[in-house]
Amino acid sequence: MERSEIERRVKQVVSRVLSVGEEEILPEHHFVFDLGADSSQSVQLVDAFEEEFQIEMDREAALGVKTVGEAVEFIAKYVNK
Amino acid sequence: MTTELVATDQARVTWAKMRLDAVFYPKSIAVVGATNTPGTVPYDILANIVKSGYQGRLYAVAPGKKSIDGVPAYRYVLDLPEAVDLAVIVFPAEVVDRALEQCGQRGIPAAIVISAGFREVGVEGRRREERVKELCRQYNITLIGPNCLGVINPDPVVRLNASFARAMPQPGPIAMLSQSGALCTAILDYARQRHIGFSKFVSFGNKAVVSEIDLLEYLADDPQTSIILVYLEEVAEGRRLVEVARRITRGPNAKPILMIKGARTTRGAAAASSHTGAMVTEDAICEAAFAAAGIVRVESLEELFDTAVLYTNQPLVRGPRLGIVTNAGGPGVLATDAAIRDGLEVPPLGEETRAKLKRHLPATANMSNPVDVIGDARAERYQAAIEAVLADPQIDQLVVILTPQSMTDIMAVAEVVCKEAQQPPKPITASFMGGVDVAPAVARLEEAGVPHYRQPEDAVRAMAHLQQVIRWRETPLEDGAPEIPEENRRRARQLVDKLSPGLMPETEALALLALYGLQLPPYRLCTSAEEAVAAAEQIGYPVVLRLQSPAVVHKTEIGGVLLDIASPEEVQRGFDLLRERLERAVPGARFDGIIIRRMIPPGYELIIGGKRDQSFGPVLMVGLGGIYVELWQAVGFALAPSTRRQVRALLGQTKAEKLLSGLRGQKPGDVDAFVDAVLRVGQLLEDCPRIAELDLNPVIVGPVGCGYGVADARIVLA
Repeated sequence: MERSEIERRVKQVVSRVLSVGEEEILPEHHFVFDLGADSSQSVQLVDAFEEEFQIEMDREAALGVKTVGEAVEFIAKYVNK
Repeated sequence: MTTELVATDQARVTWAKMRLDAVFYPKSIAVVGATNTPGTVPYDILANIVKSGYQGRLYAVAPGKKSIDGVPAYRYVLDLPEAVDLAVIVFPAEVVDRALEQCGQRGIPAAIVISAGFREVGVEGRRREERVKELCRQYNITLIGPNCLGVINPDPVVRLNASFARAMPQPGPIAMLSQSGALCTAILDYARQRHIGFSKFVSFGNKAVVSEIDLLEYLADDPQTSIILVYLEEVAEGRRLVEVARRITRGPNAKPILMIKGARTTRGAAAASSHTGAMVTEDAICEAAFAAAGIVRVESLEELFDTAVLYTNQPLVRGPRLGIVTNAGGPGVLATDAAIRDGLEVPPLGEETRAKLKRHLPATANMSNPVDVIGDARAERYQAAIEAVLADPQIDQLVVILTPQSMTDIMAVAEVVCKEAQQPPKPITASFMGGVDVAPAVARLEEAGVPHYRQPEDAVRAMAHLQQVIRWRETPLEDGAPEIPEENRRRARQLVDKLSPGLMPETEALALLALYGLQLPPYRLCTSAEEAVAAAEQIGYPVVLRLQSPAVVHKTEIGGVLLDIASPEEVQRGFDLLRERLERAVPGARFDGIIIRRMIPPGYELIIGGKRDQSFGPVLMVGLGGIYVELWQAVGFALAPSTRRQVRALLGQTKAEKLLSGLRGQKPGDVDAFVDAVLRVGQLLEDCPRIAELDLNPVIVGPVGCGYGVADARIVLA
């Protein structure tokens, strides 16, 4: 899958879970500091990414991902395996 | 924070007030990192500020939210419509620095960082905390925390509960500072039950920027605060704590400081290289420091509040003479024992008082002190006894004890006590012993501000603590230190400065002690047997021969000290013997000669020790000397320099005072001379910061008027 496609779908998921406009989301945005994710929303995001991309991630590592861009890279590793 | 401080005390206090006013009396607050998930810290902090009825403007910084519970929310601190006075940061630790940097850029002067995940969690956390400090320095931010419960100020002017404690306490005269956040919630709940109000309540956590000392300075001038309670685990700036506490606990606006010092375990004992240092536990130093600062140390939360409640509700009266009125003999005995143990007195009552009691009490009652009004006493009998005892000029304060017997009118007695407690000047406490039966009366007493205690011993202990407060206020901080000529002090510093780190050569150590006026027996360094004989003849027999070599740290371990040498022949033989012993023990070692000194006549063997504590600076140790120092560990500690009174108190705490008083017909020792020696050593430690450890053991004290002699001196330089 193209990286741009992954990024588009990641933004969609983030927008849905955190109730933030898609256009406001940038790759460098920190889930907590810039997008306001709390601890339960972080877990929800991981679930939603797994569902969106039909993958199963290392949850501890996934919860350690800080930014949208990092999330794209992290998911790409699973999607393009 | 200390880097910002200016020289004078007044300026420092003003500075502390100015900066911390933004924390305690903010006109506007932003909760940075707030969420809208109830039951989480980031939500509860905001909700608590709203619930407490905060009187200023409130904002949330919560990306993705327009508002939380009606509080307007902004994405970034930089987006806030004003530079608020206080930012309460609840973001996770990993992004606290980013939030704090924006606070600095927005011109916010103060912050509380609630989040954990800093130096308490290891290397990464320490790095984060350093970054927080750096940002506070860069932007001049006054910061409480991180890793704390928050700050509460019940003052109606502001009504601020910037914490995740369940409920806002009522206003009151007690300030509470705690290094432990979780303990705070328990304290608040406990205080609620006892109707205790607070002036300020601060959980200061890791104290990365604002320390307990900065907060003490603020509270010194806080008109709402009359007593300060502290729970502390770590004293990072001990010397400053002592200085600040002394200013607060004395003078016209004196406020008592009561402290629980946790983490009592001995650490770093292995690092102490001499046996004297090894015995100085950190806790013993804290104890000494608190004594020098006027801080009353207590052991438990209950004791802390027991004392605070007495101080804030009853008159503070100088006088250890306790009257006890009880309807049960046993508790009266327990109270008496506790009073004597804690330094109070339970004196007999005057004739006039006894006569009054006889008129109102049955013949079987006990008219002495404790006054036992007997189990069937009703409120009238209690009242007569209380009034009679309070009127006795031999009595300074009173404890009223009640046990719930079938005929006891508990509530009526409580009303009597409430009424009597409204009439100063003598303080009254109560101990209505029991549980269910006495509960309503206890509640009535506490509502009326009568200090109530579950056990009479607790009442007595609180009273004793306040006597300690009064004694401290009356104790002079200086009581005639020995004069050390300035020229001698200068020469001493020169002498120390030219030496390398490690054990000082004995000749240099003795020279240093002589400059500070310590009494040393005549001595001479001799490099040949002939020189030694001539020196002994001049000094006078008997003499002591002491081997001198840089290769030998503990002379006695290789037989390097010969005592009671009484003739030229013995000196000759001794000189050769010591030389041989050195060669045998450390072949090829440098031989610097021997020190010949006059044998000190037998006397009381004591020790004067010293070390330099990282936090509290120079510390003195005093106690039994010679071999007994290890056997009994009968030693006490004081910060250096010390006062005559403190050294005397140390002798009293150890067995030294009793020893010097002359046991079994022996002549009493020269206590004054010994105290003078301790003060001189304290001054030496203060003047020469390179002295890391010092051990004068034994110091042999002669009879009154005969002084003492330092028999052995080890000084280690840093």
